[in-house]
Amino acid sequence: MSSSPTSSGLMDITMPQMGVSIAEATVIEWKKQPGDAVEADEPIVEISTDKAESDVPAPAAGRLKEVLVEAGETVDVGTVIARIETGAAAPPAPAGDDGQAAARGDGEASAGGDGQASADGGNGGEPTVTPVVRRMAEKHNLDLSRIEGSGRRGRVTKKDVVAYLRERDESAAVQEERAEPAAAPAELAEPVLHMESPYREDAPPAAAPAPAPAEAAAPGGRELSVMRKRIAEHMVRSLQTAAHCTTIVEADMSRIEAARGRRSYLPFVARATIIALREHPNLNATLDGDMLTVHDEVHLGIAVSLGEDGLVVPVIRDAHELSHEGLGARIKDVAERARSKRLSPDELRGGTFTITNPGAYGAVLATPIINQPQVAILDLEAVVKRPVVVTDADGHDSIAIRPMSYLCMSWDHRALDGALAAQFLSTLKRVVEGWQG
Amino acid sequence: MPELTYLQAISDGLREEMRADESVFCLGEDIGAFGGAFKVTAGFLEEFGADRVWDTPLAENAIIGTAVGAAVEGLRPVCEMQFADFISCGFDQLVNVAAKLHYRQGLAVPITVRLPSGGGFSGGPFHSQNPEAWFLQAPGLKVVAPATPEDAKGLIAAAIQDPNPVVYMEHKHLYRRSKGEVPEGRYETPLGEARLAREGDDLSVITYGAMVLTALEATEDLDGASIEVLDLRSLYPFDREAVLRSTRKTSKVVLLQEATRSCGVAAEIAALIAEEAFEDLDGPVVRVTAPDVPIPFSPPLERAVLPQVEDVKEACRELLAY
Repeated sequence: MSSSPTSSGLMDITMPQMGVSIAEATVIEWKKQPGDAVEADEPIVEISTDKAESDVPAPAAGRLKEVLVEAGETVDVGTVIARIETGAAAPPAPAGDDGQAAARGDGEASAGGDGQASADGGNGGEPTVTPVVRRMAEKHNLDLSRIEGSGRRGRVTKKDVVAYLRERDESAAVQEERAEPAAAPAELAEPVLHMESPYREDAPPAAAPAPAPAEAAAPGGRELSVMRKRIAEHMVRSLQTAAHCTTIVEADMSRIEAARGRRSYLPFVARATIIALREHPNLNATLDGDMLTVHDEVHLGIAVSLGEDGLVVPVIRDAHELSHEGLGARIKDVAERARSKRLSPDELRGGTFTITNPGAYGAVLATPIINQPQVAILDLEAVVKRPVVVTDADGHDSIAIRPMSYLCMSWDHRALDGALAAQFLSTLKRVVEGWQG
Repeated sequence: MPELTYLQAISDGLREEMRADESVFCLGEDIGAFGGAFKVTAGFLEEFGADRVWDTPLAENAIIGTAVGAAVEGLRPVCEMQFADFISCGFDQLVNVAAKLHYRQGLAVPITVRLPSGGGFSGGPFHSQNPEAWFLQAPGLKVVAPATPEDAKGLIAAAIQDPNPVVYMEHKHLYRRSKGEVPEGRYETPLGEARLAREGDDLSVITYGAMVLTALEATEDLDGASIEVLDLRSLYPFDREAVLRSTRKTSKVVLLQEATRSCGVAAEIAALIAEEAFEDLDGPVVRVTAPDVPIPFSPPLERAVLPQVEDVKEACRELLAY
C-alpha cells in the first residue's frame, strides 16, 4: 500500500498493487465513511482484482476525510482512492457533538499542522506540544486547551504550565505566596544551581490526604509474622548474649568440586566440618550462662531458608555417624520437610553446631549470628573461580585458576579464643582441600 | 589574587608544574630561545635550561613521537604545536600511538599537546581552525578547552598530571582578551567537569573555549530573559550530568561552538540531550556553529563564518519565542 502525506496534513490512500501483474482493481465496499475516525491498520475498504479480494488497511490513525472512488468503480493501481486527515487522533466525539466536527482540542500534535493557526487558538493548525509540556500535562492531568500559550502560534510552553500550576496551587491555598503571579517568571524563587525542572518539586495535587503524624502505622506497613518475630527475638538475644567474633579462611574447593558432580557441596563441607569438630571438640559446645558443655555427639543444625517467611534450623542428630552421602540424604529430607512445614518441634532443638549456607545467591562473605546456646556457626558462601598461587611438590609457585570459597565462622569469645577458631578453620580447610572421596 | 591574561595563566601553570615536578619538560618549534610563537614559554629557557626546554625541528610527528617515548619512560612532556592546524602532521603519533598504548600494552602516556587554535584575527584557513572534534573520535585521548585564565592554569596542570594523553586547546583569540584573577601556586581544575559561567532559568547556552565569552556577551541582557551559560571546559570526557541538569532546568538549549558544524561537540551533546532528556525539552535543540567551510582570510567573510554575538542573540530569541 502506498500512501503519502500531503502538505495540508492529509494522507493519500492509493489503490494498492496486489500482485506484479495486476494493473487495476475494483472498490467493493467502503467500511468507513467520510468523517469516521480510523485507527492505523484498521481495514477501511474492501477491494477486488480478478485474482483476489482484499481489505486495505488505513496507513495511519486519523479521520477519513474524503472518498474519491465509489464502490463498484474500477481504477488503475496507484490511483488515489481516499484521503485521511492524520493527527486528529480520533478521540471519541464529545457528547452532544454530531461527530463530524473533528475533535481536535486535545492538544495533540498535528503531524504536518500548517502555519495558519487561527489567532484565537481554537480549532485547527495547533502547534505541536513539546515533550516536556506533554509530560507535565500527563503528570498533572492538565487539559492543555485551558492554558493560554505564550509561545509561537499560541504554543503552550513549559513556563506557561509552571505558571498555571502555580496559580492553581495558590488559588487552592496549598502554598503560601512565594512568587508574584504569572507575569514575571524570571523572578520566581528558583532554587539554587542545577535543580531539576521546577515543576517537579511542586506538591502533588491537593487531593492526597496529609500523612498522619508520628506513630500511626505507615500506609503499607504490616506486622511481622509470628516466625519473623521469633527469629528477630532470637537473633537480638544472641547478639546481646554472645561476644561475637568472625574468623575467615579461604579454601580451595577443587577436590570437592571434582567429587560432587551435580550435587550440592553442602554435605561435603558438613562432613568436613564434623571431622574438624572431632579434632577440636571445644567448638562442638553450648554455653549456658557460665556453664560450658562440650558434647560428644555432633548434632548438626542446618539453616533452611523458607523464602520470605523466614528461616528454620532443623537439627540432624548424631551427624558424626553419617558419611557425606548420609548427610546429603538427611539434609535433603529435613529441608523438604521444613519447607512443607512437617518438622516436629524436637527436630529444631538440641543442636551443637550450625551451618548456614546462603552461598547459592552469590555472596562471598558474611558474619553470621550464633544460634544460641551454641558457641559457633559456620557460614558457607559462594564458590568462585580465582587466580591463586599454587605450589607444586618441588616448591615451585605458579598461578592457577581454582574454585575458591571463604569459610566464615562466627564464634563466641566468651567460650573460646581466636587461636582455637583459627585452628579449627585450618583443620576444616585441610580436610576440604584434601578431600578423599 | 593577581589578574592574569589567559596566556600568562597558561605560562604560569606550565612554570609551576615544571618547578614542582622535574619530570615535566617542554618541546616544540621555537619555544626556547624565541619563547614560542605566542610567547607562552618566554623566559623558560633561562629558568629551566635547554635540557627541559627543547627547540625542535619543524616536524610535528617527531615532536609528539619523542614525547610519547619520553612519557613511556616516565617523563611528562608538554608539546607545543605552533598552531593547532599543524597537528595534522603529528596525527599518527598522537592518534595511533599515544592514544592506544594504554589499551595495547597497558602503558601510561602522560603527554600534553598544546594546540593554539581558533580564528577571529584573519589567520586564514591554515592558522584558524578548531580541530577538537578530530580527537573526540580517537578513544584514549582527553580533550580540554579552557575559557578563563583560572581554568587555563588549572587545566594545564591537570593535563600534565593526568596519566593519559591530553589535547589542550588554547584559543589564540583569548590569549590577551580573556583576563581574570588566577590563584597563585599549584592547583588543578578537574578534567571532565563543566563550570556554570552564569545561572539562568529560561534557556541554556552550552559552549566552551572562546565562545564562552561570546555567549556571555550575547546573553548578558537579552530582552530580560534569564539565560544560563554552561562552560564545558572538558570536551572529552565531558560533563554529562551538568549538561543534563541544565537541560532539565531550562528545557531550552542552544549549543554554541566556533568549530565547523558536522559531527562536532555540539552534535554530540545534542545527541546526548535527545537520548537522555527528550522529555524535558520545551523546544528544539539549536546549534550555532561555523558552517562546514575553511576559515576565510577576508575579515568580513571571516566574521560571516564564525559565530558572532548577534548570531547567538538571534538563536536565543528564536528559541525563547518557540
